[in-house]
Amino acid sequence: MEGLLGGFATTLSLDNLFYCFVGVLLGTVVGILPGLGPLTTIAILLPITFKMDVTSAIIMLSGIYYGVAYGGTVTSVLMRIPGEASSVVTCLDGYEMARKGRAGAALGIAGIGSFVAGTVGVIGISFLSPPLAELVLKFGPAEYAMMMLAGLCMVTYMSSGSLLRALLMAAFGLLLGTIGSDPLNMTPRLTFDIMALGDGVNLVPLAIGLFGISEVLFMARQKPDDMKVLPPPSRLLGFMPSREEAKRSVGPVLRGTFMGFLVGLLPGGGAVLASFLSYGLERKVSKRPEEFGKGAVEGLAGPESANNAGTAGAFVPLLCMGIPANAVTALLLGAFIIHGVTPGPTILERQPEIFWGVVASMYIGNVMLLILNLPLIGLFVRILDIPRAYLAPMILSVCLIGVYSSNGNPADVVIAVVFGFVGYVLRRFGFDLGIVILAYVLGPIFERSVRQALAISDGDPTIFFHSTLSTSFAIVAAVLLVAGLWPRRIGSPG
Amino acid sequence: MIRLGGTRLVTIGLLAVALVGLWQALRLESWGFDGPGPGFFPQLMAGICVVLALVVLAFPGRAGETEGGDTQETERSPETNRTFAIYAVTLGVLAAGAMYAGFTVTTVAVTVLIMRFAERRSWLASIGYGVACAAVGLVCFGWLLRVDLPEGPIERQFYMLVR
Repeated sequence: MEGLLGGFATTLSLDNLFYCFVGVLLGTVVGILPGLGPLTTIAILLPITFKMDVTSAIIMLSGIYYGVAYGGTVTSVLMRIPGEASSVVTCLDGYEMARKGRAGAALGIAGIGSFVAGTVGVIGISFLSPPLAELVLKFGPAEYAMMMLAGLCMVTYMSSGSLLRALLMAAFGLLLGTIGSDPLNMTPRLTFDIMALGDGVNLVPLAIGLFGISEVLFMARQKPDDMKVLPPPSRLLGFMPSREEAKRSVGPVLRGTFMGFLVGLLPGGGAVLASFLSYGLERKVSKRPEEFGKGAVEGLAGPESANNAGTAGAFVPLLCMGIPANAVTALLLGAFIIHGVTPGPTILERQPEIFWGVVASMYIGNVMLLILNLPLIGLFVRILDIPRAYLAPMILSVCLIGVYSSNGNPADVVIAVVFGFVGYVLRRFGFDLGIVILAYVLGPIFERSVRQALAISDGDPTIFFHSTLSTSFAIVAAVLLVAGLWPRRIGSPG
Repeated sequence: MIRLGGTRLVTIGLLAVALVGLWQALRLESWGFDGPGPGFFPQLMAGICVVLALVVLAFPGRAGETEGGDTQETERSPETNRTFAIYAVTLGVLAAGAMYAGFTVTTVAVTVLIMRFAERRSWLASIGYGVACAAVGLVCFGWLLRVDLPEGPIERQFYMLVR
């Protein structure tokens, strides 16, 4: 507690408050704009921080990281363009809510849910970091592999529609993730000697193609009259969720926060898996499962909270063990090291002011994000008033900028267009696209874990059942598969 | 005789992709001296895809239900088909434009195709809006934010002037 109070004292200095504000503001803008991901922004701003005080620098860079999670929601809800993999689930119900004239409420619920989740996540970091760090250290390659498998089985089990089709999509996502260089020895795989596939299929063209571009094709199939959305409210309070919507959000936000934080602790795609698991869980426990995918409040509130709690959770392995959870936290780790700070178990003893300063800045940053985002919702939802003739070219321009700038490679645009058509066809016939993205993101980590475990055991597959943790995950996966493939459910819509 | 509904046709497509993937994966080493090789995981995944695709072919489930209720099938009038076809062609132009023509030309071409030909707006509105979109993208993203945009002659000239 003393450490946290000291952290607040550090953060509440005028300088640090300013840098925290700059960080979250930049993060929000970056999340909304196509083309500038958090990785690029932090990379660009990193040299600027060299002359700054180390705590201020880390506070600003962290602000960008969690600010992006807020900003990415806006494009997901209003245009069905996920800014990042963890926003993919937001597209499903957030976009449908927007089309029913509840865009303001959707953004409001997402904003408030994210605030609650982010804050609870930060409290979790404050009090649970040391014991959680120890728990995460118990995860070896076999435990990781089984956990990923259990996570994938759970998401497919909880998906709507036929379980077989969901499993097929998961397998395709994993297969897509193997295209490109082998992660362990760089051998090119499944590239068909096409240069553009040398680095594999990147996440940005895949996600934008499957979701953004396929949506344009769906728009084209509808008559303009069918596309009209209910006008957004004109009063500021009209953008807030109704009493009913707020009531329906409470449970999902709490469940999403708890699950998101725990899953976010795990290096590699924790926030993505958390958002998908939360969506599946909410669908299972909902009294109105038929509303999912058609604008269910729970389908937005749960995953949005899980995704933000996961972002906070990712700071635990970073700060306490020096293990980055993803590419952005890897860059943050680089920033720490450049500034002479070595995150790890000793940071709490050697440089507590930095650890607690960053943690306290996250509390304050979350309040800033809420204050910053709620008044802007009214402005954002005006996008929905734009007729299709003007909206479609705008979406395609945004997709073009977003896809091309991710790698500076025109072949990515071709890949995005191809996946746009693929996504359109798959969506039309009831194949769940979200699972493809999840499996694609988890695939390389899953593969690395499986191969490392088998290499350690000299090819003995029983290594996956040596520890209690991995055996438990294997049992969960098996039970879910058997339950899901019970004859009544094979091929049924679920 | 088995009826080839949409789901089965899509699954046949997925099966074909999986078989091609498996054929490529089988050319890779599945096991090396230090454990699983680069082919191990792709072979496993492609094999699982093939098996699952065959099972889905046998039990395709109910046709038509989709993720998120996305397919509120509107009646496919000739006008809707025409609009859809133009949008599909536009995506081809988008991909080709990114490769060869640069951001500005591609954005204007995509906008004109959609607005003038698919949505039947006036030439003036179509070109005007296309130029406006391209200008905003080029100035805000390409110049001010220094975001990478597909480069063609127009972008190169513009950057020479402002950078």
